[in-house]
Amino acid sequence: MDLVTVTGLSKRYGGIVALSDATFSARAGEVHALLGENGAGKSTFIQILSGAVQHDGGSILVDGQDYRPVNPDAAQARGIAAVFQELSLVPDLSVEQNIWFRHEPRTWLGTVNRAEMRRKTLALLEKYNFPALRPDQELRRLTLAERQIVEIAKGLAKDPRILILDEATSALPAREAEWLLKLTRQLAAEGRLVIFISHRMAEVRAIADRLTIFRNGATVAAHEANAVSDTEIVTQMIGRHLDRLYPERVATATDRVALRVEGLSSGSRLSGVDFALREGEVLGVGGLQGHGQRELFQALFGASRASGAVKLWGKPVSINNPRQALTGRDGIALVPEDRRGQGLLLTKSVRENLTLSVIRRFTENGLLSRQKEAALVKEMVDFLRIKAGTPEQLAGTLSGGNQQKVIFGKMLLTQARVLLLYDPTRGVDVGTKGEIFQLMRDLAAKGYAILFHSSDMPELVHVADRVMVMRDGRVAATLEGDRISEAGILRAAMLEREAA
Amino acid sequence: MASAEQTGETMQRPADMKSTTPAIGWRGRALDRAPFLVACLMLALIVGIYGSLQSGVFTLDELNLDTAAAMTLMLAATGQTIVLLRGGIDLSIGGMISLGTVIAATRFTDDPSTTALWALAILALGFVIGALNGLLISLLKLQPFLVTLATWSILNGVAMIILPTDGGSVPSWWVGFASTQLFGLTSPVWMLLVLLLFWWWFRATRVGISIQATGSNEKSAFLSGVSITRVNLVTYGLSGLFAAGAALFLVTQTGAGSPTIGKDYILPSVAAAVIGGVSLFGGRGHLAGTLIGAFVLTLIGNLVFVLHVSSYWQPVASGVILLLSVLASSVAEKAARGRVQ
Repeated sequence: MDLVTVTGLSKRYGGIVALSDATFSARAGEVHALLGENGAGKSTFIQILSGAVQHDGGSILVDGQDYRPVNPDAAQARGIAAVFQELSLVPDLSVEQNIWFRHEPRTWLGTVNRAEMRRKTLALLEKYNFPALRPDQELRRLTLAERQIVEIAKGLAKDPRILILDEATSALPAREAEWLLKLTRQLAAEGRLVIFISHRMAEVRAIADRLTIFRNGATVAAHEANAVSDTEIVTQMIGRHLDRLYPERVATATDRVALRVEGLSSGSRLSGVDFALREGEVLGVGGLQGHGQRELFQALFGASRASGAVKLWGKPVSINNPRQALTGRDGIALVPEDRRGQGLLLTKSVRENLTLSVIRRFTENGLLSRQKEAALVKEMVDFLRIKAGTPEQLAGTLSGGNQQKVIFGKMLLTQARVLLLYDPTRGVDVGTKGEIFQLMRDLAAKGYAILFHSSDMPELVHVADRVMVMRDGRVAATLEGDRISEAGILRAAMLEREAA
Repeated sequence: MASAEQTGETMQRPADMKSTTPAIGWRGRALDRAPFLVACLMLALIVGIYGSLQSGVFTLDELNLDTAAAMTLMLAATGQTIVLLRGGIDLSIGGMISLGTVIAATRFTDDPSTTALWALAILALGFVIGALNGLLISLLKLQPFLVTLATWSILNGVAMIILPTDGGSVPSWWVGFASTQLFGLTSPVWMLLVLLLFWWWFRATRVGISIQATGSNEKSAFLSGVSITRVNLVTYGLSGLFAAGAALFLVTQTGAGSPTIGKDYILPSVAAAVIGGVSLFGGRGHLAGTLIGAFVLTLIGNLVFVLHVSSYWQPVASGVILLLSVLASSVAEKAARGRVQ
């Protein structure tokens, strides 16, 4: 009998459907891989299983009994533990306090029995051959990889029947990742069910008995792992997309390099990125989430400590100052990831949002010229077709798509011709998405150079002139022309190994 | 596909898989406790100056006196420390202290059992009002600052309605409590020890750890199964309870009720904790630091007195000390971070 059976599971967040029809079944004693693109619903699915969020519809049976955990505690009580990607660890507690958090052995006074806790910690680490950890060290002193290992120990400390590993290998160096894969097999051999999420096909191949593929919030297929090819898996992950959304792509790139980046590194997430973005070009930045895309944009905008060389229009620029300082025609402008937090002042008007950072452009003798400002604002509102009653409407009251247009307007008013667009269509309705893509192509035709990241692969495929695929903080491949396809991007991001 | 052989083989611990983080060492530990050590240093300095200007400072009598003077603040700051550890702040303790004193001053009688019942009622009221704060913060998802600002105002108003001006009285045996002695130490000194004992116990309980963990990272705590609502309830409940305790002790010093006195303890309770190294961002700090901070703030008053300068210098000096402590902890924090990365 199946240990877990899920049928027709659904979950909405406001108007967004995160999961529409997830079906899943898994047996005790197997490693069951979950595959899918970013946003396919895997995360929501395991969050429901682990009690972090509650589902709206459908049913889950564990051991044939109805399962609807109201919180992570309730999930643990039923023997389900999750090793989260966003770590569930507390920075100010020690390693062992974290491992046993809320399950500490206690004395008659109700206090933590430290000696017993230490003994249990060492026994646990010994049993599963954990990499060296200092039990008494405060968590905030550990590296990301070590934290991930603590998180795994914490999951195992509950002796769960079902263990969920959400991209647990992604933060681990090769050796530790290998250890985890062996551990996963061992856990399955002990009769537990391990639900394993990874974007690394090789790992899934190495340890999974079965796999379930998600797409757009629904299950597309489940396979015995040895009865399906990589190509079939990738095809099922992508499915078919309608591409009416996208404008015609006319190559407008010149030979002039607008932005040249050499050896850009930042922390452990970005290591030695080289590329050249040309005038009139849209260069896509793709790959699986968390492989350095965010860090690349942050480093380029000077928002994080980075090393390497950056040249704008042939001139070297200092790379550790925010590029807001670089306005004007030789500057650089950013559409940030967090629109509501970083890009817009929601309680200010459309006009104020548009002109706040370019106030210099319409001052005369130190005084604001309202006429000049109004003219510029009108020009932008018309050009971008921002649907606002008046320029005085508050930005917070606009739709997501129109808010994004205001940010574009703000960016264009700086007159910078190198544009960094980080997921500019996230949370934007389909119609406006099309307008934004058209706008990007129009700007490219005018000679703007655009670096464009999207978490939605088809956008890269259909809008960018070239796509740079990132893996582990490096450029794994740069795809051009016919080689730009979702399969090509996925293959570069997951399958093809760089020559070692 | 994994083979059976693979799972059957014994797992080898990768031999050179060493923890990459260095051992902390004494310097790291000292840096970690820098704010606390700075507070100790300040206290030593103040006591030193005070002792050189005034005779009889290094006696049990002086300890008894100063502890009694500091105890109201200490009780209020104990509750505040728990709230700060949770990553919140509780301004309503000002209202609770005022309300506690006016109820005591108007209801306490010479009959011990009636008085004891009212004292218990005040403590219970403190916990319930605090718990309500916690509930409002959780259920309405409001800022602790705003919720407790509102409850402070409400409690203050109620205190005014009960007793519009300073007055009323408490029985003399209640006032005498603060000077009761056991083995040469007065009851406030014993209370100080009890507070430390309470803290040692509380911090090692699951509830205490959950409160600290929630202050350290709320999301992580939630994912680990902590009920944030329950944590808020207990945290602010305890704060209210300690504020009520502070009120009961305060009337042993004043002998009367005051509907406005509580406000004098709101910011000093936060200041004492911060001077003692408790982080305003939650997750870090110990009561020992807070109590030292409370001593520092109290002894500044003594110092200003023996220096024969205007008493208005007291808040000036307190402010400077607060700034110095914040500076010290920020420097230490940066140094510690530099060592980690």
